[in-house]
Amino acid sequence: MNITTAYSVSSIPRIAVQDLQNQLAGFDANLVIFFASSALDPEGISREMQAAFPLADVFGCSTAGEIVTGRMLTNSVVAMAFNGQAVRSAKIAVLEDLNRDSYEAFSSFERHFDTPMAAMDPNRYVGIVLVDGLCLKEELIIDRIGDLTNVNFIGGSAGDDLKFAATHVYANGKSYRNAAVLALIEPATDFTFVKTQSFRALDKKLVVTKANAFAREVMEFDNKPAAVAYAEALGTSVAEAPERFMHNPVGLMIGDEPYVRSPQQIKGEKMAFYCGVAEGMELTLLESTDIIQDTSQALARAKAELGRVSGVINFNCILRTLELGQKHLTDQYASLFAEVPTVGFSTYGEQFIGHINQTATMLVFK
Amino acid sequence: MAGKIKQMIDTIIAQRAKDNPMLAGVIKTKLMLKGIDPNKFTPQSDDDPAILAKLDVVAKELK
Repeated sequence: MNITTAYSVSSIPRIAVQDLQNQLAGFDANLVIFFASSALDPEGISREMQAAFPLADVFGCSTAGEIVTGRMLTNSVVAMAFNGQAVRSAKIAVLEDLNRDSYEAFSSFERHFDTPMAAMDPNRYVGIVLVDGLCLKEELIIDRIGDLTNVNFIGGSAGDDLKFAATHVYANGKSYRNAAVLALIEPATDFTFVKTQSFRALDKKLVVTKANAFAREVMEFDNKPAAVAYAEALGTSVAEAPERFMHNPVGLMIGDEPYVRSPQQIKGEKMAFYCGVAEGMELTLLESTDIIQDTSQALARAKAELGRVSGVINFNCILRTLELGQKHLTDQYASLFAEVPTVGFSTYGEQFIGHINQTATMLVFK
Repeated sequence: MAGKIKQMIDTIIAQRAKDNPMLAGVIKTKLMLKGIDPNKFTPQSDDDPAILAKLDVVAKELK
C-alpha cells in the first residue's frame, strides 16, 4: 500500500499526533496531508504534525468535520500519507497575504520542478489548494491559479465546526489565517477528479443584472430585486424563500454540469451567496437529488476511468454534510469510502476550476 | 469597434489548449466562471472594455 490513512479522536495535539504516528509507523511517508477539527489548538497541531514527520512535506487545515476511510468524524484529526511510489515529488507554498499576487508561490514551484507553470503538463502534475474559509477570497485565488497554469488545482475552504470565528491552514509546522496553502504534486500514478453535486436543473433561469461579485451579493435578477425574483421562480414568498436555500440553490450550467452558487441569506431585497456571482451570468434554479446515489455513481466512474483506486481526498461541502445528517445518511455516505484509503473534511467551499458550493470535489489516485 | 472579444477568446483557447479538446473545455469553463460566456460573443459583438480587461489578464500569461 503506497497511500494510507490514520485518525485520532484525541483533542490534545501531542496525543492525537502520537496516535497518528503509531498508526503510520513503518510507512515511509514523503507527503502527509491532514485535516483537524477546530477543537485542536491550531499552532499545536501544525507544529506537532511537522515534528512527527520531519522527512515529509506536511500540510493541512482546520475543518467542520473530518472524513477518513469509511468514517465521518467530528472533533478528530485525520491524515493521509504517501510514499515515493505514490508521489514522486511535491512542493508546498503558503500565500500568507491573500491581497498579494501568487507569483512568489508559483516561482517556487517552477524552481522545484524546473518547469514554467504555463508549460506544466496537467496530466503529470496536480495541485491542492486549502484556503482560509472565512477570507472571501477563494474566487480570486482559484481564478489567478487558472490564469497562470493548465495544471488543475482542487481543494477546499477550511472550516471551524460552524463557529464561523477563525479558520486555519497549516504548513511548515505553522498555522496561518487569511492565507492559503498550495501544494503542487507530481504523483507517481495516474489520477483523476470527481466533482459531484446532487442537483437537477429546473426549467427556470435567473439572469444576474446587478451584483457585487467581491461582496458575493446579488442585487437584481432579471432587473427585479434579487430576493423577489428568486422567490417568484420558486413560487414562494420572500419570507419563506430562505427555507428553500439548501434544496434549491442556483447553478451556472456549463454543458449539463451545474457550478452551484448557494444562497446564504436575504438582506433586504438583496441576496448574499457563499461564492461570487458575476453580472451577466445566466443561472439556473436547481433542485436537490440523492447525494448517496450521485456520489456512488461518481466514484464508480472514477474507478472505471482509472481501473482501480488507491486513494481519495474528499473536499465535501458542509451543507452536504448537514443534509446527510438531517436525512440520517451520514454512515451510508461514509461507507461509500470504506474500501479505499480516504481522507477529507467538511468544507466552507470547494475548489475545482473555480470556487463552488454544495459540491464534493475529490482527487482520486490510481 | 466590434469583434475584439471573440478574437481574444479564440486566441486564448487556441494558445492554451493547443488542440487538446479537454483543455479547451476547461479554459471555456474558467472563462464562464469569470462571467465571460464564449458562446455569447460573435465577430459582431461590441468591444466591452470591462470584458476586454478581464481577457487581457488571461492573455498576458501567454506571453
